[in-house]
Amino acid sequence: MSELRLLSTESQEPDANAGPVEFDVSVIVPVTERPGDLKALFEKYSEALESAGHRCEFLFVVEPWYRGIADALRDLPAFGRTLHIHQAAQRMGQSALLRIAANRCRAPVIVALPAYRRLDKAVLPDLVQRIRGGAAVAAVCRWPRRDSWINKTQGYMFNRLVGRLTQGQIRDVACGVTAMRREVFQRLPLYGDFFRFIPILALREGYGVKEVLTPQDAADAGPRLYGPGVYLRRFLDILALIFLLHFTEKPLRFFGLIGSVLVAGGVGVTTWLFAQRVAGQGISDRPMLLLGVLLLVLGFQAIALGLVGEIIVHLHASRRTSYRLAQDDQQAQL
Amino acid sequence: MVPLFDEEATVAPLVEKIRECLGPAHTWELILVDDGSTDSTAAIATELGRRDPRVRVLQLARNYGQASATQAGFDHARGRVIVTLDGDLQNDPADIPRLVDKLHTGFDLVLGYRQRRRDKLLTRRIPSGMANYLLRWITGVKIRDVGCSLKAYRGDLVERLRLYSDLHRFVPALAASYGARIAEIPVQHHPRRRGKSKYGLSRIPKVLADFLTIKMIRSFREQPLMMMGLAAWAAFGLGIVFAATAFLMPSATGTDAVVFVGAALLWMGLGCHLVLLGLLTDMIAREHYRTEDNEWALLEAG
Repeated sequence: MSELRLLSTESQEPDANAGPVEFDVSVIVPVTERPGDLKALFEKYSEALESAGHRCEFLFVVEPWYRGIADALRDLPAFGRTLHIHQAAQRMGQSALLRIAANRCRAPVIVALPAYRRLDKAVLPDLVQRIRGGAAVAAVCRWPRRDSWINKTQGYMFNRLVGRLTQGQIRDVACGVTAMRREVFQRLPLYGDFFRFIPILALREGYGVKEVLTPQDAADAGPRLYGPGVYLRRFLDILALIFLLHFTEKPLRFFGLIGSVLVAGGVGVTTWLFAQRVAGQGISDRPMLLLGVLLLVLGFQAIALGLVGEIIVHLHASRRTSYRLAQDDQQAQL
Repeated sequence: MVPLFDEEATVAPLVEKIRECLGPAHTWELILVDDGSTDSTAAIATELGRRDPRVRVLQLARNYGQASATQAGFDHARGRVIVTLDGDLQNDPADIPRLVDKLHTGFDLVLGYRQRRRDKLLTRRIPSGMANYLLRWITGVKIRDVGCSLKAYRGDLVERLRLYSDLHRFVPALAASYGARIAEIPVQHHPRRRGKSKYGLSRIPKVLADFLTIKMIRSFREQPLMMMGLAAWAAFGLGIVFAATAFLMPSATGTDAVVFVGAALLWMGLGCHLVLLGLLTDMIAREHYRTEDNEWALLEAG
């Protein structure tokens, strides 16, 4: 386990001598960007869960540059609550932090929270209740939004773009608060920036996703503008998501589409030039010819790349199952 | 084994008919794979399964498409012979015993072909005829009717097939690349009486892409580097044509032909790129084929 060496862990557990504790909810909080008051977050949310009668544990996974935050959490009076702090020794990224935390969870229900207060605390028991009621995944949709217009517009655009991919089944992808059964979480292909799309990944695996409407916490309302790099990355994330959802098993359809459009353009240009040549006009001094050939070449390259993709998919097909049975789900619920 | 998607109207009559046709002569099981139907197909199928232990129902978690549904059925089938048919009653279960008998005369895969098709001419039969022709030409497998779902497989052929994406249409071509012995017999084809067809013309570009894929997979098994190599030679050839033009033109007409030089370089660049891609693919595949055995058909026959 190379992962272990990268991680230092500290835990506060009440009366460890009393034998193993049965938890029913694990709350995981990856601390990667603009962390808020984690002490308040821990106290409020754990209080809400406990008053609803849940035994819960909290797992904070902290990126190395927030060492100060990890230290502060360590000194937190836990009042008999269970709290684990995992401090990464090098940059991990949010997906990896989530995976690390999920592998260490002991409860059958996992709740993933961002490291800042986004929602009213009452929503957590509600989410857990949905999972207990048989849903595989429960995602929060912030409504009504109490936010600055900048955030609203950004969120609206992002959710519209991504929501279309799910046929409107998920209306607030950007929220990031989700609850799910542990084995669901472990099945998701979570890497890179896909942590943003957890509900969509779950839908793709054939799990039912329930949306829970919750008013946004006023503490979350400050206007946020990011650098141009962030928007570019979001755009690439969406592109990667589209590819994952539609073309994982058929890369040639994606590359082939791009390739055939380019080739069609190239054929058009060169035919036009050829017609002019036949009509007696010289084409040797026409840069247009270069454009036509360039389009053809790029098109063929795209198609060839798609074919390489198909070979990779074909070779891996024997090692993975491309479907999931609903029966497995029913067994998991029992 | 029957994949089902939104076939609530036909499930019950289908099961009844299969029960009649197979009777006590064979020991059989019927696997109904519900491919995430949105109507009551799953409920009806489950009920049928409860009444008859020979009917097993697999419910997929969402709509994965026919290839994955078929694969799910394959993975759970226990028979030495596996027969697939459509859930829309267009295939006649009465043909199943004939397919199985044919299989036992020494084949790995027996395909049904529809003698008189009862489908719309323009949107179904003409595209399908063209598809049959193209597939025959591309894969070299002589098959009359690719689109017919009524097929009988030997169990150990099924273990080697992996269907995903839309590869169910190319089962004969895939099986042939494993060295399977394939036969065809005529089967009956009924017009669709209940339910509606889920295919249309929109699938043509997808099928074309799949043709290219299947060609690549097949040619790759036999001669790695072949396809990319051929394409690379073609690109180099075009590059040479352009280069020759650029070389000869100034002396013939006295004009400068720098554009042709550029075009020649682009084509040759493509050629290099394709050779490199071919090598990359070869590298990806090498590890895989080292461990796979392709000789099962020969061993069985001998």
